[in-house]
Amino acid sequence: MSPRESVLKVDWPQCRARGLCAELLPERIRVDEWGYPVVFGPVPREEERLAREAVSACPRSALHLLTT
Amino acid sequence: MIYPPVSVDVHRGPLLLSGIERGPGLTAHRARLGALPEPGGEALVGLLNEVGVRGRGGAGFPLARKLQTVIHSGGSRPGVTSRRPFVVVNAAEGEPASAKDSALLDVAPHLVLDGAVIAARAIGAREIHLVSSEDRPWVAAAVHRAIAERDDDPIRFVQHVAASRFVSGQSRALIELMAGRPGLPVTSWAPEAVAGHRRRPTLLSNAESFAHLAAVVLWGVDGYAAHGTPAEPGTSLLTLTTPPGHDGAFTDVHVVEVEHGADAASVLDAAALAAPLLVGGFSGSWVHPDHVPQLRWSNAVLGEVGARLGAGALLSLSDGSCPVSETARYTDYLAGESAGRCGPCRNGLPALSDEMRGLADGADTRRRLRELAGLVTGRGACAHPDGTARLVGSLLTTLEGHVEAHLDGDCGCAMTRDQRQHLATRSRVVLR
Repeated sequence: MSPRESVLKVDWPQCRARGLCAELLPERIRVDEWGYPVVFGPVPREEERLAREAVSACPRSALHLLTT
Repeated sequence: MIYPPVSVDVHRGPLLLSGIERGPGLTAHRARLGALPEPGGEALVGLLNEVGVRGRGGAGFPLARKLQTVIHSGGSRPGVTSRRPFVVVNAAEGEPASAKDSALLDVAPHLVLDGAVIAARAIGAREIHLVSSEDRPWVAAAVHRAIAERDDDPIRFVQHVAASRFVSGQSRALIELMAGRPGLPVTSWAPEAVAGHRRRPTLLSNAESFAHLAAVVLWGVDGYAAHGTPAEPGTSLLTLTTPPGHDGAFTDVHVVEVEHGADAASVLDAAALAAPLLVGGFSGSWVHPDHVPQLRWSNAVLGEVGARLGAGALLSLSDGSCPVSETARYTDYLAGESAGRCGPCRNGLPALSDEMRGLADGADTRRRLRELAGLVTGRGACAHPDGTARLVGSLLTTLEGHVEAHLDGDCGCAMTRDQRQHLATRSRVVLR
């Protein structure tokens, strides 16, 4: 069995570049020159709590944490 | 603007286009190919697996796997009234350099409809939805005529017309359109085969894919695999064209059916064999003229030069057009075709277009182009930004020498100063 992996997925049509995600989870998310999130790699176990906070803080509900 | 071709020369071919001289009617079609067999779901998956039919809309996903997923996703689920699947035939053909689906539905509509009916019966679907595009109204008319000739009771056909837009043919955009919402791409959380139309399992594939499905069943595995190579049995439809005129109209468009593995010279003339070739349409990749004569119509061979057949649109610069200027023009077109819903695409594609225009005007914007191409890739609800980045990236990589020569002012570029001026003052992207 492969270890479970969590990834952040942006619902692009919903995203309006509010930028909260990048402020709350700078370890995984930076913003591009237009303010839209750039996500780096899967979310390690120890960052999952922070990632969930970033997901629930998004005012557009445009950030999702998918676990496989 | 760039418009889809109005007039297309369709050439007789080995399989899908083998009966075109008999006309598009049902009587001639049945007389030639006999009654419609009714394989069950698993049997059909087996047949498609044996010859490895891949989707012909661009992504090239194995059709057998899609069908298998639909079958596995069916059946009753708690709280859901019906899981009866749907079949969707995608003939929206948003790529203006492609005309193979519209041509196929014009000359052999019953082959496509047979494929859809065989699939519908195999998975227990009762509705077949067919989507064509507003800017090719003759396709909807051809489909309408063909449906009127048939009786596939209890299966019902439903026609939809998608707006004239490059991204209208994207699969999620079709599901949106069928749901009565604007037919624009949205984020997909599950494949259409799992949760498509009305969240039910949906076999959604390109019109040509359904014709191949029918061909495998009607000709049998051996008859189908008598064409092509052992690794890639069968054929593909190709659209061959040269750059559209300044009015945005294509004038020289041919649709041909090639056996996989056939060589470039089987469809390209001497001028096209010596010119840059755009493989896969406006969101495709440039192939260097040195490699064009050695090409074979096989994804394995095309992959070696960084290209893939995609939806089979081939655009040759055999008219002597400059690849840099043409890429700038197509990038401008693609930026204008963004639905404007996803930030990276809405901002990134106009920026890519500006920098491509700069490159065409003689400024060395290559670094910024590479940066922007990387920035938009993989960051949207659909692959429109990825395709645009691919076009620009392949120009910089594959045709690096042409770009250098263009910047040095000695590429023999036919573009006049006036035309460059015209390109530079084109209206900006309109946001919707």
